[in-house]
Amino acid sequence: MPSEILPEFFALLGIDLFLLLSLLTCLLDERFPKALPYVFQAAALMGFGHLLISREFMVLFGEYMRFWYSFFYLIVALINIVTVNIYIATAKRMWLLAKAWAGTVTFPTFVVTVFFVSNYGFTASIEFPLLLLQVSLVVSTIVLGVSTLIFLSPDILNKFRRNKEVN
Amino acid sequence: MELKRIVLKKEMKFLGLLLTSLLIASASAAVYYSLTMQPRVTVSAPLIKFSQAPDNPTGSTVYDAWVRLNATSYPNATLTYEKALYINNTDGSSAHSFRLKHVSITPANGTSDVGNWTSIKFLVYNSSGYVFSLNYTVTSNAWYLEPGVETNYYSIPASTGWWIRLETLSPATATTGKVCDIQISVDVQQ
Repeated sequence: MPSEILPEFFALLGIDLFLLLSLLTCLLDERFPKALPYVFQAAALMGFGHLLISREFMVLFGEYMRFWYSFFYLIVALINIVTVNIYIATAKRMWLLAKAWAGTVTFPTFVVTVFFVSNYGFTASIEFPLLLLQVSLVVSTIVLGVSTLIFLSPDILNKFRRNKEVN
Repeated sequence: MELKRIVLKKEMKFLGLLLTSLLIASASAAVYYSLTMQPRVTVSAPLIKFSQAPDNPTGSTVYDAWVRLNATSYPNATLTYEKALYINNTDGSSAHSFRLKHVSITPANGTSDVGNWTSIKFLVYNSSGYVFSLNYTVTSNAWYLEPGVETNYYSIPASTGWWIRLETLSPATATTGKVCDIQISVDVQQ
């Protein structure tokens, strides 16, 4: 029997992403607010509490609810990664760092998330609105693709604006 | 000097965050692991099991892993059930260790009813003779159990049967109809 992923795996993944963010923002501390690494650590710690609560009330919550609150926590972690990426690119205007961040942090985390979520969708015997999940992941991937394109060629946005003004 | 201080401060901050990160990550992984454990419990016959013996007290109930012995005691005379119960090692290939461990006894210590008994002894024998015993003796309305008896395990060889000899004794002043309930567990090392 293949070992199935439990819904709490997404919370565990979210915790690891927050810890990764904390360490990376500490390494790049000149570019971020001083308290940011500690905020991410606190978020990871909240995830740990989240796991403990999930363990205690496992039977009461049911698999459907456990999946959604764990997945929500993971989405929050992903949003933070993208936000940091956008912050570097727009507020700090450090295109090179933003591109490196997108390639080494944002894109791999999205790929890993998509892999595990799709794997969970195939192996889990429980019913949940998989279509909604797939749509949200497709939208996320499109946004990621467009963002990457803009990061790689920042002038494309200006060209698009000029074309719009001419029309 | 100032630059060195700043670098050192950053290193310390990173080290602190790294340590707390490791702590949080490993604790979370441990919690997740505890969620993924899938215990399986299979019903099987006990390797060390009880069986009826020739001197089993009348009215006793004997199952493989649970026994109730309805013994009697006489005032001023020792009553002996020579072979009250068999304890068999049904494993044909290896020896197993077991011990008799006291769980509970009524009447409770300090009550005058305890004085209705002098001793209740559970002596374990094998074909070579005496092995060990769990002896309840009464001193000043209190039950006394020999220290150390419960902690030792005794190895019973493969496919071998041992037996329990039960000895009871009440004082001459004992009241007829008084009942003593003893609960003993048999701890087996599988």
